Amino acid sequence: MTPTEGFLRHGSDTYIANFAETEREVLVNLVQQIIEILAERHDHANEDPLAAMVGITTHDSPPDDEVLLRLLPNAYQDGVDAAEFRRYTESTLRDKKRAHAMSMRMLLLSATDGDVVLDFDNAQAWLGGLNDVRLALGVRLNVDQNSHEDLELLAPDDPMRAVYAVYTWLGWLQETLVEALMDEASS
Amino acid sequence: MGKLKPQPTVSEETAAEISAIFSSDRPWVVVVWDDPINLMTYVTYVFMTVFGFSKEKATELMLQVHNEGKSIVAKGAREEMERYVQRLHEYGLWATLAREDQI
Repeated sequence: MTPTEGFLRHGSDTYIANFAETEREVLVNLVQQIIEILAERHDHANEDPLAAMVGITTHDSPPDDEVLLRLLPNAYQDGVDAAEFRRYTESTLRDKKRAHAMSMRMLLLSATDGDVVLDFDNAQAWLGGLNDVRLALGVRLNVDQNSHEDLELLAPDDPMRAVYAVYTWLGWLQETLVEALMDEASS
Repeated sequence: MGKLKPQPTVSEETAAEISAIFSSDRPWVVVVWDDPINLMTYVTYVFMTVFGFSKEKATELMLQVHNEGKSIVAKGAREEMERYVQRLHEYGLWATLAREDQI
């Protein structure tokens, strides 16, 4: 699944990767799922419009869903402090993650000949967005418990095998983007 | 000849600790925890970007996270540390903050 070279730096502020049609479809589908799972967490009824305006959410307990909890983690180990922090910051974090995913989707859908062209800001959005997708897949693959060796040995007909293939592909893709950005940071 | 007036030399670090004693805002720290998903190069890059660390310093802290399970990557006033944790969460790192003496 890696016919391209991943992201390469062009000049001082441009990062380009070429995607096959199927790769774009897979990635668009994944970022769409991130957008949807974040939307599920969106504040429901009884929202105080003034509180919403200043970014205070009705949520102060951590998400039940494991993926959401990894995307929107507790900032304190202490539950009371964590709840207080979450109430004032979670909606900002959610908006940021949503913006990263939206940026990825937009650039993937508008890519000409499969070329995704990023400037520095887009590259930051992609780093965060790719990472969110990897976090979601990693939680579903239970990489906490399963070693890479376990996952390599999944049976060919195990649906998790395909998920693991995408997960490693995205890790490789993210690594090429980090390396392209690091080149700049050190030069 | 009078006695020499004592002139204690105070490093910047000591000065910060002294002022912290008198401040109501005792030092807080940002802790980054190891997780099997985030790539090592990515964590290094995030440390460089968020804290302005050199590649060497960022790599050293990343390795500490990887080998020891966690690393204290910043120390200071609570509000500043909260902003760092928020930024680290934006990048998907597993970070928390705590009082320095409770780690």
